[in-house]
Amino acid sequence: MIKAEHCLKPAWVRQQCERALALMPVGSAVALWLDDRCLLAIHETDHPLSEGAPGVQAFPLMLEGTRVGALLLRLPVEDETARAQALGWGDLLTHALQGVLESEYGRRSVGRETLETYREMALLQRAVTDLNHSLKPAAVVAALLKEFDGRKGTADYGAVFVHGTDAGAPDRVLSFGEDATAAFGRLKDSRLFADMAAQDTGDIINDLSSSPLWAGEIADFHALLWLPLVSHGEALGLLVLASRRTEGFSAADLKRAQTLSSVAATALHNARLYAAEQEMFQSFVRVIATAIDAKSPYTAGHCRRVPEIALMIAESAHRAAHGPFADFVLTEEKRNALEIAAMLHDCGKMVTPEWVVDKATKLDSIVNRIQLIALRFTVLRRDALIDQYRAQAAGADRNATDAIYQARLRQFDDDFAFLETCNTGGEFISGEHLARIQAIAQQRWIDDPSPQRGEVGRGASNSRSESLPLLTENEVYNLTTQRGTLNPAERKIVEDHVVHTINMLSQIAFPRSLRHVIEYAAGHHERLDGTGYPRGLKRDQLSIPARIMAIADIFEALTAPDRPYRKPGTLSWAIQIMHRMKLDNHIDGDLFDLFLLQGLHLAYAQKYLAANQIDPTDITRYLG
Amino acid sequence: MTQTAKIVIVDDEVHIRALLEQTLEDLEGEPEILTAPNGAEGLALIERERPQLVFLDVMMPLMNGYEVCAAVRKDPALFNTAVVMLTAKGQEADRTRGLEAGAHHFVTKPFDPDEILDLAREILAHSP
Repeated sequence: MIKAEHCLKPAWVRQQCERALALMPVGSAVALWLDDRCLLAIHETDHPLSEGAPGVQAFPLMLEGTRVGALLLRLPVEDETARAQALGWGDLLTHALQGVLESEYGRRSVGRETLETYREMALLQRAVTDLNHSLKPAAVVAALLKEFDGRKGTADYGAVFVHGTDAGAPDRVLSFGEDATAAFGRLKDSRLFADMAAQDTGDIINDLSSSPLWAGEIADFHALLWLPLVSHGEALGLLVLASRRTEGFSAADLKRAQTLSSVAATALHNARLYAAEQEMFQSFVRVIATAIDAKSPYTAGHCRRVPEIALMIAESAHRAAHGPFADFVLTEEKRNALEIAAMLHDCGKMVTPEWVVDKATKLDSIVNRIQLIALRFTVLRRDALIDQYRAQAAGADRNATDAIYQARLRQFDDDFAFLETCNTGGEFISGEHLARIQAIAQQRWIDDPSPQRGEVGRGASNSRSESLPLLTENEVYNLTTQRGTLNPAERKIVEDHVVHTINMLSQIAFPRSLRHVIEYAAGHHERLDGTGYPRGLKRDQLSIPARIMAIADIFEALTAPDRPYRKPGTLSWAIQIMHRMKLDNHIDGDLFDLFLLQGLHLAYAQKYLAANQIDPTDITRYLG
Repeated sequence: MTQTAKIVIVDDEVHIRALLEQTLEDLEGEPEILTAPNGAEGLALIERERPQLVFLDVMMPLMNGYEVCAAVRKDPALFNTAVVMLTAKGQEADRTRGLEAGAHHFVTKPFDPDEILDLAREILAHSP
């Protein structure tokens, strides 16, 4: 509001009045009243001239058709000519004041507009920064409410309601004010709210009791201001402010709220788009993880469980106030990267043949070839029986041939049992084992003794009735694998899954915040002493999250309920093996200690392992 | 504040003087607002009137804002005069020079009227 009195400077007015008085009869008095206040009075001893007093002539001062004050004049003379002349001077003075008043009023109106623009610009500048500070919808809403919360003289209550994906009334997501949750909960059920939510524009109701839709739902609410949050033509939500006072909101409050809401709506729109992109990316990651897990029944759930373990360890390291991880900070970026890396760390296994991944025994290929060998032993047994009959037919001693036959059967059974044992990955193949396998292999068998029948069998030569070695070269090669079931070539294929993981992940255009995903995912088979694969990185070359990945991967694999090459491991057994890895400097001992000390192994076991896997473990034996 | 507060605005741009004056008229207690169009006149006005608060532009003819501010800070009679420097947006170096000259408050132009009012209220409330 521009005050008329601000438009006329007293010193200047006094100067003009004194000049005019000098032209009037001696004893004349003048006074200027504006906005019901006497701004100045000249030649008045007792009290200033007042309008309507006897002998006082008033010259009105107007602004935009309204009388805002008057120049008052009292003349001491009765002489009509002199009086008329003096009144003429008074009229001229009034015109001068009126002119200045109007131009100054005009200038101040422009000034007020400019200041309003300054005000809005400053608000916008701040709001654009504050409201776009975060890409989280909740943070945008919080920043918007903060602009009203605690600002004196405005809203006592505030809330933002946000539309969900489905139609219907928006839900309150955040609010401030005394007992705001309950208050806005009741507001949401009111008829007035339904009406507000349905409107395209915002408004003020400064006396709620006068609204026909208001049934006094909240006793404390006397005035309401509301604004839809609209971006790109879509209503995203509703801002509601409430005041305990009637006439609690002004047009300026609404304008300010509009400025803020327009920025907030854009920020909210962007935050939602970003969240949708994030969600889509996450779902892609989940699809890949599910595909890897689905490929092999034995590793099912591995890609789901490793992230759990990795995050448990990382969060524990983050919380550690002292010790080796006092300085480790798990930022939100790192946390996201670790979670994604843990879900995708085995994505290279998608291109690893599953008969290698699932190779339960050494002779497993697309089929387990032990059955072929079993068949050959059956042939040998049959041939032994035939030999016995032939000998007897030729007149040999029955008891003697029977003893030979029984001895041969025992030998076959023994040999086959031995091969079966070797075929599992549990047995370490020593030199003695090797010699026996080779000896067995050199035994001959004839795949088809009758010349009339066609040839059968794997690895048979073209000539019929020819004897063949009991074990092929390839079978000996596989059976003499020293540790585990994978021969060197197959081990290479399996180890290559990390290379495939790296190659695949390198093709994903990760944003800067996820730039560590590849490093974390690629490190899960590295060992601190540099003997791991694929890069043979050493301790200092591996970040803490990468080392966490290795521990999570091993622990999950050891405790997994079902693996092709062994029964589910117990908790104590897994920890014992990992302790050995710690002593061998394969895994990070500090992380392993943290894992045990924080009881993460138990927390995980209780959530994911079968009861018979969880056995008592004395962790003190493995610390330090 | 025992008497009506005095505020001096020193800026060579007439519209800044007018807008600042108009903003400060909204202060409670109707402080007396005086203006000067350059540094030299501004310093003379400040020394004569001893205001509680001075708004001082940086770039001005005759005497720039830093010089005026430094002179104010050297005058023991103006110990209680607070100086707010009006700086251009994005000119962080102005702030450093202003601090060196003894200014304690900075407002960037175009100014936020609410920020000016809050600042003036704060300074006048603590003025002896």
